[in-house]
Amino acid sequence: MTKGSEPQETIYEHLRSKGVSRRDFVKYCGALAGTMAFCGVPAPVEASGLPASLAGPQADATPLIVRAFETKPRVPVIWLEFQDCAGCTEALTRSQSPTLGDLVLNEISIDYHETLFAAAGFQAEENRDAMMQKYHGQYVLVVEGSIPVADGGIHCTIGGRTALDLLEEAAEGAAAIISTGNCSSFGGLPKADPNPTEAKGVWEIITDKPVVNIPGCPAIPEVTTAVLLQFIVFGTLPELDDLNRPKTFYGQTIHDRCLRRPFYEAGKFAKSFDDEGARKGWCLYKLGCKGPTTYNACATIKWDAGLSFPIQSGHPCLGCSQPNFWDGGGFYQGQSAPLNRPGAAAVGVAAAAGAVVGAGAATANRMKKRRAGSAEPGDEDA
Amino acid sequence: MKTTRAIDTFVEETGGWVASQLEACTRCGICAEACHFYQATGNPDFAPVWKVELLKRAYEQEFTLGGKLRTMLHLQKKVDEADLEAWSKLVYEACTVCNKCAMVCPMGIQLGPIIHDVRAGLAEAGMVPDDLAAAVNKQIEEGSPLGVTDDVFESRLEWIADDWEIDLPVDKEGADTLVIFSSIEIMKFPDNLAHIASILNAAGENWTLSSKAREVVNFGFYEGSADHTRLLLSRVFDGAVELGVKKIVVTECGHAYDALRWTAPNLMDVPDIEITHIAAVLGEYVESGRITLKAGAYDGDGKITFHDACKIQRRGGHIEEPRKLLSILAPESFTEMTPNREQAICCGGGGGVIAIKEADPIRYKAFELKIAQAEAVGAETVVMACSNCRLQFLDGAEHFDWDMKFRGLAEMVAEAME
Amino acid sequence: MDWNATLEFARGPFFTAALFVFVGGLTYRLVRVLTLGWSRDRVPSAGSKAGGVAKSYGKGLIIWPFVPWVKQTFAGNAVTLIAGGIFHLGLFAIIIFGAPHMLAWKSMLGFGWPTLPLPIIDWLAAAAIAAMVALAINRVANPLLRKLSGPAEALNWLFVFLPMLTGYMTTHHLLFRYEVIYSLHVLAVDVMLIWIPFSRISHFVFYFFSRTIHGAQFGKRAVTP
Repeated sequence: MTKGSEPQETIYEHLRSKGVSRRDFVKYCGALAGTMAFCGVPAPVEASGLPASLAGPQADATPLIVRAFETKPRVPVIWLEFQDCAGCTEALTRSQSPTLGDLVLNEISIDYHETLFAAAGFQAEENRDAMMQKYHGQYVLVVEGSIPVADGGIHCTIGGRTALDLLEEAAEGAAAIISTGNCSSFGGLPKADPNPTEAKGVWEIITDKPVVNIPGCPAIPEVTTAVLLQFIVFGTLPELDDLNRPKTFYGQTIHDRCLRRPFYEAGKFAKSFDDEGARKGWCLYKLGCKGPTTYNACATIKWDAGLSFPIQSGHPCLGCSQPNFWDGGGFYQGQSAPLNRPGAAAVGVAAAAGAVVGAGAATANRMKKRRAGSAEPGDEDA
Repeated sequence: MKTTRAIDTFVEETGGWVASQLEACTRCGICAEACHFYQATGNPDFAPVWKVELLKRAYEQEFTLGGKLRTMLHLQKKVDEADLEAWSKLVYEACTVCNKCAMVCPMGIQLGPIIHDVRAGLAEAGMVPDDLAAAVNKQIEEGSPLGVTDDVFESRLEWIADDWEIDLPVDKEGADTLVIFSSIEIMKFPDNLAHIASILNAAGENWTLSSKAREVVNFGFYEGSADHTRLLLSRVFDGAVELGVKKIVVTECGHAYDALRWTAPNLMDVPDIEITHIAAVLGEYVESGRITLKAGAYDGDGKITFHDACKIQRRGGHIEEPRKLLSILAPESFTEMTPNREQAICCGGGGGVIAIKEADPIRYKAFELKIAQAEAVGAETVVMACSNCRLQFLDGAEHFDWDMKFRGLAEMVAEAME
Repeated sequence: MDWNATLEFARGPFFTAALFVFVGGLTYRLVRVLTLGWSRDRVPSAGSKAGGVAKSYGKGLIIWPFVPWVKQTFAGNAVTLIAGGIFHLGLFAIIIFGAPHMLAWKSMLGFGWPTLPLPIIDWLAAAAIAAMVALAINRVANPLLRKLSGPAEALNWLFVFLPMLTGYMTTHHLLFRYEVIYSLHVLAVDVMLIWIPFSRISHFVFYFFSRTIHGAQFGKRAVTP
């Protein structure tokens, strides 16, 4: 699938060779600029090589992109899957702007991807090794799925090698690493209590390379493509927060941007999935919505070309882009509730312990009262 | 040693009843505004909550893990003799145990009875103010704090019977009702004896006085000593049992009624004798028609108001009877002070305070509230059913040169009988 | 600092531990008092004790300044009565009828109830917070309350004030990111739960003792409590 032209030729040359006219090329760059716009133009002037006046924050991103595509070869991408469900890949195939097709055919060359690859077995492994050698220090490593470290990492092996081993090898020569989805970011479902495989996110293992976390289950495809695109155009990674998430997409909670927010403020809540409130589109907080603590761009970018997102479709946010979301209390339990419902028996034990100490203290006090009573002076008067 | 005795008493007195209320206190300070001594002086020491602080500290230090820990870490001072001395002044001189504080406490804590418990501890420690302690001793030894010995009792009765030309039966066999006066009445308001006797006779009551149970006041109860209280109560009950009466009528004395009616059964075994107050008896006589009163007898003699005594009205329960009587006797001129009934302001002399010379300044200060209250309604006569209150009113009026008439309820009823 | 982990800790094991201390500690105090011994009241009643108790609770609830029996002590305690009243009203309305709080109850009790709209809760919360500030100032300014106050009173105030303040900030996303202030709120609640059994905040338990005693004492004397 990727046995196309040599990555050394620039993207523009690659497109020309496929019969794209100069006019169509610029139009295409303009369309991508739309995608970049919500990325914000970080204006790395050196990367674009343009004068500062053209590369400021207010500038149209189109010339930047044109310039980048004229001068840069396609970026080689190695995509590793570990303890995952391929859901992030599935989602990526539904990316709308740019589409995965655009990306693969135009800007990047995916050189290893287990799900999308036609090749399989040793052939594929060999190809990956060759690419890692050839583009050492230049390729982008995308990881999907968590990495188990228990028992020497044997709980996930590919071609006889552990995920941990494969990751460390691939990370060594990567220019940047993108963790797509909650599993590769924070451990995701495999990490759920009791976490038998000791699943970890990439950034917990690889600490000497820039790692961008794009959590979500799956990650919003446009976020993955936008981050890739920024790396291609500017050679930079987006600004990250303390959980290594791009601030642009993870700077606000779902609750902050939720279309049902006014109903929350007004105290109008759906109490079940088929009551009047649900039909009228009221707030889903009482159905366990985790929107207030979930940082992601679902409410703004939405899914399937901006068609909808879970809350809009009537389902509370599960908080799938948050660390440990599987252990964050029941999906349909109010998010203000304590995580574990203390059992009546345990509370009873606490009460019983208190009662025992209390009764003990009272017994000692009653004995003290008796002693005080018998020591009372002036008893003879009574 | 004194401290040990006080603490032992606190320990003994503190059961679930006291402990639960001490635990309930939030230290909000609202009780202060109900206390006439605090209101009159603004001294925070006089806040009821502060008066029970001593017992609270003793309770925490003796009974609770937290209190023991706090004293161990020196976060709370252990109760010592200096504390007892300080609190002796607060609970004997600046408290009439009127329990008005309980009415305003948001938690409903019975501060009055709890302050009584503080007195109990101090009494066992021998920290009772000298004047009060002397009166207690006098009552124990002579039978009366005002010196009403057997001889004095006999001669006073003789004189009253002669002077008012009234029959005063003493130790009458087969009498139904034993009437016991306070020595304040015998010595200072002898007309009260005559008036009450005339009412009882008019109502056809088969009543008697007792030479043994001749003193109803109980200075042991003021002092807080359970033993002294019991001793003095037993004199009353023994006299009543000897005569075989069915009913004891307490005359115009508040704390004696509190001790006999509302406290005695919890202190000792008491004989099965009904105990009632003269105010209730008067109300009942009029209600049942055993005596008839001249309607409007006191109208046209200026405004008349009624002073509620803490132990007869708020803590005694006889709030409505005096009002019924006054609405017959003076339907036009009877007027209520504010606040009244169970919310009434105490005279300031009860609870033994009037017996303690040292307490005079604050006692007069507290009485100013009463003056203001009566003057606010333009009263010319203040009626009351407690001779201790009457003593305080007379003394206060003299001190402040206050022009006001004071009358006992029984006296008014007696003079208006048809 | 990993605030997600802090939040999990506050909502999870720390809350459970705090709840155990709360339940165990209060039971300790309750049992210690209950089993200290109660002597039977042998005084014959003139009125109805039960009736007195009923009236005592009725009156205990209506401690607003316009009520005649409160008016008399109102002047000297305006701040305590008004601010105290607003504080308790706001507090109970919010912890029972605030949507997030109801859900917390629901998760523990297994059933829920209708909640109040946020603007109402919000004003009650603001009023309750203002009332607490007023109470604190009053406690320092009033000579009697100053005398009655020690470190325990200061801590009582603090441990009740912090959950209220952080709760308000959580609702309004003030100053901190949501999970940060939400963590602080839950932590403050946990600390308060632990503190309650060792403090006079537990008056909500002993209130029922003293009010009952009050009603019985006056009821048996046939006096309105």
